[in-house]
Amino acid sequence: MSTPETSSRPPNDNPILWVAKPLLTAAKQFRKSLFRPSTIVYPFERLEDPKFREEVAVAAGKPIGIGAVWDNYRGVHALNIDTCISCNLCAFSCPDLCIDMVNVAGGDPKHPKKCPEIDYGKCSYCGFCSDACPEGCLTMTTRYELSVTKRADMVFSPERLYQVYEQKLPMNPIRLERPENEDQILLDPPVCIGCNACARDCPTKCITMLDIVKPTAAPGEKMPKRIWKEPVINDSDCVRCGTCISVCPKECLFWGTRK
Amino acid sequence: MLSLYSVAYDLISIPLTAIAAHLPAPLSAWLVNTTLLNVLGALVFCAILLGASMINTIMLIWFERKMLGRFMDRRGAMHVGFAGLLQNFADGLKLFRKNTRRPKDADFVGFYAAPTAYMVSSLVMFAILPVSTGWSAGALPLSLLLALVVFSFAPLFIFLSAWSSANKYSLLGGMRSAAQMIAYEVPILLAVVAVVVLSGSFDLTTIVYEQQNYWFWAPLFLALIVFVAGMLAEMERIPFDLPEAEAELVEGWNTEFGGMLFAFFMLADYVRALVGCFLIVLLFLGGWTMPGWVPASATSFPLAGIFWFMLKTYLVFGVFIWIRASLPRVRTDQLLRVGWMRMVPLSLLSIVLAVAVVLTKCLPVIGCVPGIGGG
Repeated sequence: MSTPETSSRPPNDNPILWVAKPLLTAAKQFRKSLFRPSTIVYPFERLEDPKFREEVAVAAGKPIGIGAVWDNYRGVHALNIDTCISCNLCAFSCPDLCIDMVNVAGGDPKHPKKCPEIDYGKCSYCGFCSDACPEGCLTMTTRYELSVTKRADMVFSPERLYQVYEQKLPMNPIRLERPENEDQILLDPPVCIGCNACARDCPTKCITMLDIVKPTAAPGEKMPKRIWKEPVINDSDCVRCGTCISVCPKECLFWGTRK
Repeated sequence: MLSLYSVAYDLISIPLTAIAAHLPAPLSAWLVNTTLLNVLGALVFCAILLGASMINTIMLIWFERKMLGRFMDRRGAMHVGFAGLLQNFADGLKLFRKNTRRPKDADFVGFYAAPTAYMVSSLVMFAILPVSTGWSAGALPLSLLLALVVFSFAPLFIFLSAWSSANKYSLLGGMRSAAQMIAYEVPILLAVVAVVVLSGSFDLTTIVYEQQNYWFWAPLFLALIVFVAGMLAEMERIPFDLPEAEAELVEGWNTEFGGMLFAFFMLADYVRALVGCFLIVLLFLGGWTMPGWVPASATSFPLAGIFWFMLKTYLVFGVFIWIRASLPRVRTDQLLRVGWMRMVPLSLLSIVLAVAVVLTKCLPVIGCVPGIGGG
């Protein structure tokens, strides 16, 4: 005889139901998927096919369109070489260091234009690069098929990314809003030697070298012969790429908030 | 009456006679010798039987893959052949090309003999079971007994393969298979006794002819349930697939087998599934006979017996797939308890019912009809 402690079976639990209930559940599923199972035949059908749009929208709980299901997908990048300003921000923001800035054809041979080259063997599809891109030229598309047979094929050159761009695939929304109270590039005037490096390398050409009036030298001291120049930054055009800071030989440019 | 053996005999005798007509006298007399023709006819008979059973087995695997897919809301094999019909042939070809490796400590004879014996003992069943009138070569008065004896060889070979592959998971699976056999063989035989009592014969052909008026599942519903449960355990299908419980014992008793040896086990499992469905159809579902209300045109076309028999077989296997898709695997103690404490009393009860039907010559629901209770 079993004691009350050992018999844990609920009073209304019928052993026949242990068999009958699962059988019934399976039969219901069978009837549902007999002619049309939920699985799609992937290489021949795709979820983005028009005939699945309605089902996908129902499953996702929101309509398909701009800013909805597919547009949030982060797949292969698309690069518009024409609008790229070579600001390096995508490469700076990449947490996997998978973006290299490489020369592209055309432009000044002395200072060639540089565009991102992405190694998809390392990329984690975080989307920081497209968020950081100030011109909206590097975006992420909904293309997800990337299988290659050679390791070298995983590296997408700027030209290849431009081909993706030309396919006009659905893209992630481009975020161009700037946060408020963003840091600006500030200058430490006494250190500046007026070398023009920042103005030369600025991708948006928002730095101009202006003649400035130096404080009068102490009596008896010789005035310098050359004309003193100092960079003035047009803040509304600046994309905060930091190129000027990195090229400055005297480290007189720095991030800060203007009081 | 067109029988399979006469077809095989004609297939070999007609070309040989035609060849003999163009040969000189002593050679032609040797060629159309009756003994030689009989032997060759038997070989062709076996070849037809083997081919038909193998194709049916492979179709059974296809059927299971497709239907299980539907139960799981997917599609199953799709791309090789129409609706994946040739997928299993492709899989077999792949396994055929693979290397078979024997573990260092494995016993040579047991390791290679066990899969072969398992396969052969399963295939022998097709020679015993009549699929339709004129299918088997000769009448066997004790064919049911022979079928059950041959069918219950399998756990021996499973245990042999498990023991000889020198692997603890294999051995555990083999032990489970042996323990399981004791639990289900007794109820199966008792359920069969009820059928034998009702039909009064051990001959499968006679048992089928006894079911022309009514099928045996109606009076022997309990025996049918016991027999189906026992057959599930005999075929080692879910929920009674303890010997190869892949979540616990890598792959059970066929852990160490690869390539064609594994294909043998796999194929033999489905051969046994097919044979089990044959047995259920023969013993309880009227074999190739159909009830009287079925129009005569549906039962008199050529090969109608084989057609209805195979239809019933695939329906029974569909029920097995349904069970596989629904139920989880039981524990060993649960299987033993169900076997000894539920199935044995139920089968004894069904024997009592069969004896009552034979004595009163009446059925519970249908009433008294002529031809009930054996000849």
